[in-house]
Amino acid sequence: MGFLMTTIIFFVVGVVASVSVRLCCNRGPSTNLFHLTLIITATVCSWMMWAIVYLAQLKPLIVPILSEGE
Amino acid sequence: MGDYRGLNVRRDRGGCCPPMDLMRSEAMQLVRIIVPVESAHLTLSYLGDLGLFQFKDLNADKSPFQRTYANQIKRCGEMARKLRLFREQMAKAGIAHSEMAMTQTRIDFDEMEIKLGELEAELIEVNSNNEKLQRSYNELLEYMLVLKKAGEFFYSAQSSATAQHREIEARQIGDGSIDSPLLLEQEMLTDPSKQVKLGFVSGLVPKEKAMAFERILFRATRGNMYLRQAAVDDPVIDPISGEKIAKNVFVVFYSGERAKTKILKICEAFGANRYPFTDDIGKQMQMISEVSGKITELKTTIDLGMLHRDNILKNISYQFEQWNNLVRTEKAIYHTLNMLSLDVTKKCLVAEGWSPVFATSQIQDALQRATYDSNSQVGSIFQVLHTKESPPTYFQTNKFTSAFQEIVDAYGIAKYQEANPGVYTIITFPFLFAVMFGDWGHGMCLLLATLMLIFREKKLSSQKLGDIMEMMFGGRYVIMMMALFSIYTGLIYNEFFSVPFEMFGRSAYACRDPSCRDATTDGLVKVREAYPFGVDPKWHGSRTELPFLNSLKMKMSILLGVAQMNLGIILSYFNAKFFSNSLNTWYQFIPQLIFLNSLFGYLSLLIIVKWCTGSQADLYHVMIYMFLSPTDDLGENQLFPGQKTLQLVLLLLALISVPWMLFPKPILLRKQHNERHQGQSYTVIHNTEESLEIEEDHDSHDHEEFEFSEVFVHQLIHTIEFVLGAVSNTASYLRLWALSLAHSELSSVFYEKVLLLAWGFNNIAILIIGIVVFVCATIGVLLVMETLSAFLHALRLHWVEFQNKFYEGDGYKFAPFSFALLADEED
Repeated sequence: MGFLMTTIIFFVVGVVASVSVRLCCNRGPSTNLFHLTLIITATVCSWMMWAIVYLAQLKPLIVPILSEGE
Repeated sequence: MGDYRGLNVRRDRGGCCPPMDLMRSEAMQLVRIIVPVESAHLTLSYLGDLGLFQFKDLNADKSPFQRTYANQIKRCGEMARKLRLFREQMAKAGIAHSEMAMTQTRIDFDEMEIKLGELEAELIEVNSNNEKLQRSYNELLEYMLVLKKAGEFFYSAQSSATAQHREIEARQIGDGSIDSPLLLEQEMLTDPSKQVKLGFVSGLVPKEKAMAFERILFRATRGNMYLRQAAVDDPVIDPISGEKIAKNVFVVFYSGERAKTKILKICEAFGANRYPFTDDIGKQMQMISEVSGKITELKTTIDLGMLHRDNILKNISYQFEQWNNLVRTEKAIYHTLNMLSLDVTKKCLVAEGWSPVFATSQIQDALQRATYDSNSQVGSIFQVLHTKESPPTYFQTNKFTSAFQEIVDAYGIAKYQEANPGVYTIITFPFLFAVMFGDWGHGMCLLLATLMLIFREKKLSSQKLGDIMEMMFGGRYVIMMMALFSIYTGLIYNEFFSVPFEMFGRSAYACRDPSCRDATTDGLVKVREAYPFGVDPKWHGSRTELPFLNSLKMKMSILLGVAQMNLGIILSYFNAKFFSNSLNTWYQFIPQLIFLNSLFGYLSLLIIVKWCTGSQADLYHVMIYMFLSPTDDLGENQLFPGQKTLQLVLLLLALISVPWMLFPKPILLRKQHNERHQGQSYTVIHNTEESLEIEEDHDSHDHEEFEFSEVFVHQLIHTIEFVLGAVSNTASYLRLWALSLAHSELSSVFYEKVLLLAWGFNNIAILIIGIVVFVCATIGVLLVMETLSAFLHALRLHWVEFQNKFYEGDGYKFAPFSFALLADEED
């Protein structure tokens, strides 16, 4: 799966999470915005982490050299 | 400073987005309440139940003894002392009092005072009686011992004396000479007189002093005494001290009055208790039976006494908690009443304090109820005051967000209504922790531990826990978030107790040819697309693992750091917009954003481009030579066309932004100040008296001086801090790499050198030892020490690198008068 595909998956997961939180605990506009902020932050952090590790392995400059006795 | 005007004006922010929970502290207002004296007590009681009003001390200049309700507080103090006495007695008797109040009936305060006094007197009396009885009991026990043991002496002495007597008689009969009867008569004549003068003292002496006792007796009586001692098997309770001491029973024979006085004094000095003894056997038996009778009598009396005392204490225990609460609340109410100022007419009390705007109706409701319940003729007056004082900061948190808010508050309480970093801390703090902790096996252990705490929440919150347990319990939601994120980053780093798994598809690397000859020299080749989720499992254990992971994690730290710092700068923009501070927006936010991003944002961009293109450019070289020789040709370090011009532009932008941050703001502030004072000077001439009156009790910003040099230096420091901080803070984020490396290395060492080593011996005993050592090392080093370490560093990154971009943190916390908070304070 490519970079774009997985990014879209992260986005969709984020949307699903915010919708489900809105459905389960709808407590007024300011609280809803607060929950939304938390979910967006979490999604962005997780995506960044994944994207960084993925991009670093796209076109690597070094390859694994196994150690003796593997 | 002219920066923050009109703090109390409600801002209409409907424009871009609605207000967010917890983002800014609640709007507060300064309120004056005028209460008639008869309903004051009840009013404060209801306000204490509500817990949303912080009283200001209007009598700050008075000493505690000058205040109106000092007597009441003394009464409360007395009652609290009595309650403490009861608690001690209950603890000594081993009676537990129930934590919750058993009855909910309202008790009258004065009645309770009388009752407490009575109970205390009764308890003290019962205790002293008990003590006396116990003392007599112990004395009688000792007497019993003396009777028994001394009786043995006399019995044995008697038998040996009769034996000797018979011997002498036998000899007499055997000898049968004429002149001996005279001598014998003389002996017999003298014997009775000697017998008459021989006295004895019997008693008990502590075993450790027995030798010294004997020696001193010997010296004092010049050897004219005979001491018999016998040890008592079990330690005896000393009547005077009440402790168990090993004692000896002694009988000392002496002759003469002087010897007697000496011996008595020595006995006193050694704490030897004396008991009378008769050498008549008949009387001895009688004494023994008498004493044992008395002993059993006393025992029953003492037991009854204890029972009576326990009954009293049990009755107290049913109502103890309720009384305790009542005394505590009354004391708090009187302390608060002391803070109110008495009006000149002495008919009403004036209270001033802060309360949240949303609580207005609740407070007015409480005031009305108090007026009604106290049958007062006059109602209370609720009045909102306008002031320029800075209000306290109040965040409404629930059990989940309170722990995170406490983390932020530990550094500094937010200024009134500035942006609260706590909102983002809820996610970014566990996330940065997880970047440094990254192992899904350890993450799952943490999650299990914290889920146990969360499921037993209700039970644990009512118990008294130790200090460390209290901290862990308070932070259970923080730890849960940390554990969840750790599982995620563990899956990305592909480490389960340092073991990688191939869970998300096939690894991208394979041998060059089927025989894998070159695997250890030239390495594997990339035959497929990159591993879809996380670090490729083939890296673990390879020789090039560290160079690859180090490069990856360092660059990741920089990217995450630049992102978080940008978030901080953007929050400073929101603060500037909220407080309508356009100076901050144009002359602080924008140059800061430009400076940070033209240098480190550009570095992040280079990192990403290098990864995407697989170029071999040396980024250190690029960054350094961007400054040293920006016009030089890039050569093989070129990552994209137009890079040289872009670098020149960014360098220029960065250079411009420094004076942009430094100069305009102080100059414009001075201009603003002069404009304001220009306008003011006319009004001062017209009505001097009025304007002075308005500013009397609240801080006025019109009287403040504007020292240009001070403001300029302040701005200079801020600029230098930001510019130098941009480099140092970015480098500081490299601790994310450092701790993550340490964690994975430790984890890998424990796995390979302990578990695998033990497995290799093929011996069940060694395997078990190995597993035990592995578990202990994992829990002790990785789950406890590493958790604390990563927690600390994530905390530092938030407090310093993130918050110094926007957070002022010089507010004070809202401390309302609340009975619920009192209960927490006591513990």
